[in-house]
Amino acid sequence: MPRIPTSELSRYLLAGQLSRRGCLRASRICLQPVANFQTRRFASVETQSTSVPPTPLRKQLKEQAKALKASGQKKKKNIDNQTVPGWELTVGIEIHAQLNTVRKLFSPATTSFNDSPNTHVALFDLAIPGSQPLFQPETLIPAVRAALALNCDIQRVSRFDRKHYFHWDQPSGYQITQYYEPFAKDGRIGLLARDGIAAEDGESIAVGIKQVQMEQDTAKTTAQPGEAHWLDFNRVGMPLIEIITLPEIHHPATAAALVRKVQMMLSAVDACVSGMEEGGLRADVNVSVRRVDDTSGKLGTRTEIKNLSSFKAVEDAIIAERDRQIAVLEAGGVVEGETRGWSIGSTETRRLRGKEGEVDYRYMPDPDLGPVVIDPQLVQRLASSSGVSPDVETDQLIEKYGLTAKDAISLLALDGGARVQYYYNVLDALSELGAETDAIVTILAANWCLHELGKLTEVSSDLGMTADGECKVPSRDLAALLHHLCRREITAKVAKELLWAIFRGEVAPGGVTEAIKDNNLWFNELSKAEYEALADRAVEGEDKVLGEFLRFADGKSKAYPRGKLMFLVGKMMRAGPEHRMDPTSAERVMSTRIDDIYLDALGNKQ
Amino acid sequence: MSRAIPTTARNSYRHISQLLSKPAWSVRALLPSEPSSTPTITPKQLHHLLRLSALPQPSSPAAEASMIATLESQLHFVRAIQQVDTTGVEPLRSIRDETAAGSEDATISVDSLKDALENEETWGHCQRPRRRRDAPVDTAGIEDWDVLTTASQKVGRYFVVKSAKGAGTPES
Repeated sequence: MPRIPTSELSRYLLAGQLSRRGCLRASRICLQPVANFQTRRFASVETQSTSVPPTPLRKQLKEQAKALKASGQKKKKNIDNQTVPGWELTVGIEIHAQLNTVRKLFSPATTSFNDSPNTHVALFDLAIPGSQPLFQPETLIPAVRAALALNCDIQRVSRFDRKHYFHWDQPSGYQITQYYEPFAKDGRIGLLARDGIAAEDGESIAVGIKQVQMEQDTAKTTAQPGEAHWLDFNRVGMPLIEIITLPEIHHPATAAALVRKVQMMLSAVDACVSGMEEGGLRADVNVSVRRVDDTSGKLGTRTEIKNLSSFKAVEDAIIAERDRQIAVLEAGGVVEGETRGWSIGSTETRRLRGKEGEVDYRYMPDPDLGPVVIDPQLVQRLASSSGVSPDVETDQLIEKYGLTAKDAISLLALDGGARVQYYYNVLDALSELGAETDAIVTILAANWCLHELGKLTEVSSDLGMTADGECKVPSRDLAALLHHLCRREITAKVAKELLWAIFRGEVAPGGVTEAIKDNNLWFNELSKAEYEALADRAVEGEDKVLGEFLRFADGKSKAYPRGKLMFLVGKMMRAGPEHRMDPTSAERVMSTRIDDIYLDALGNKQ
Repeated sequence: MSRAIPTTARNSYRHISQLLSKPAWSVRALLPSEPSSTPTITPKQLHHLLRLSALPQPSSPAAEASMIATLESQLHFVRAIQQVDTTGVEPLRSIRDETAAGSEDATISVDSLKDALENEETWGHCQRPRRRRDAPVDTAGIEDWDVLTTASQKVGRYFVVKSAKGAGTPES
């Protein structure tokens, strides 16, 4: 049964109105012209349903949720679309990533992003006759680091080839790429459940990387009305790497997880300029299907979907293309090897060109360029200076700092990797303040860096996080705040208010303790006696509630009435000076007093 | 270099001059003996090849026939080249210094990337590399030319191209 919309639920619960959509309404419509008594009969049915008190519906909803959970279908979103019974999906991915370099691949013109158009163009970039390509060796720094992150073998000698096709975004009529002898081969990328792979892939999966090659980017085209196109050659010749995986992926979510992980690994070694959102990464996917009982050992005919620009697009396009191919085959048709496109938000892929329109690239070795010979010592140097890998970092966050996998991944993903650095800065500042950085503190700090900080702004970019992990809430100030909170010198409520004040700039940097002092925000907790007095007052006239505890004490009910306890604590909190109370202390006092005093008193009364 | 030539060598020179006295092979062998009696290229293939090369399509059936004839004679030449056994022969891509010194010179090492590596910093908890983005870049003589003078049509700082409807993007 589908989820009931909130609006409908509130109409039912607050106004006693029952939705007439679905079978009731359909019957009414078709019954309208029929005799009166029938309409009346239906009216009475309706009255009956509306007169049912709200509790059964809540119960019903609960039971539904329970049933859903029991059937293991809670994550319906994933399980539903990752497999099609009777069919096996196979996917290979090609990822293009813009390399982070100073200069272009074959000319000393600078790389740029959003600069004034056509301002960073060398003669060679426009294929001016007589100009020659000049491989820029610095390209190897990000390229080799990226390939090493993907566990590839770096080839001592690699070469460049020409891939021919005519288009306005490629002035020379060919793209220079590494077709025959790429610089990196035979890699592997490990994906874990925490990376978001499909549930069907279990805890982990490894996908082979066939090769990584260097190649040129094309010019940026902006389509204008009236069949005109505006060209900016700043991008032409910028260095890219193309990462080609083996066709070893069998679930759409795993494909998206792979692209996401590649982006994370490339950005960790500073190899790419920007992520998918900013256009620094693009993916093409090759999709084929075959029947599970296919014994030919061959994959089905594949189609290629080009230019996917988000992780969601990767997953959605694969699902749509898989379903299209299955529909074609089930109808007795044949899948054509062709190139297809995908627009964000659409439900099906569209044909771009078929086999007959296929371009023959006429690859040939580029005679103007010598081989790229890489000294193995350079590879070693780049490997040793790549830093801690994101996988190892995630493990540390989980094992050393006690974070959940979900929080660890979120922390790593936020603000382009800067949020986790902010977290480390907070931890460093905490130890400078002399705090024990045990799991209680590291988890508390992570909660604040993720969730409390997240509440401050609608979009995280408004925090003004720098790459070095500093933002509008300086890490030292958050550390000072957490230090006071850990030592129960301020309440969580005061801490949250202070966080807002720091974010708004109302607390001078380094002035957290001062601000607490000046505004008299220290947690001057009630004495035990004062808590007890409040507890005594809270249970007055609550004999019925206390009766529940008695039933539990007598073994008449199985579960401790925690809800009732919190109800009584709530009463205490409302009655007392909240800024001087800690709910945990209040709870402790209340629970002790119920067991030691109130129940005896109640027993005597009865 | 003047040097006494040994007798055996002198004999082989005589052999060479004998060899060169009479042509053993003629370029004519690479031309078809008679104009293509059975063309192997169809007009459809010709059109496809012209499209791939961004060349104009033939203007008349006569022009088409003449193009196919030319292509056939070129193919005759290509087929002759293809007959040569190249097993185990590495293709010559270009002529370069293949001596040990030349190869070492072409090798990209830590030393050849010294400046770029020095422009990196290690940062943060995970000690990762980062390229300093604010370092000045010398582009004198590279970018300081008027790129847009090569444009036949422009708008502002953009080159402008017109496309016919239906012309898809072949690649990106």
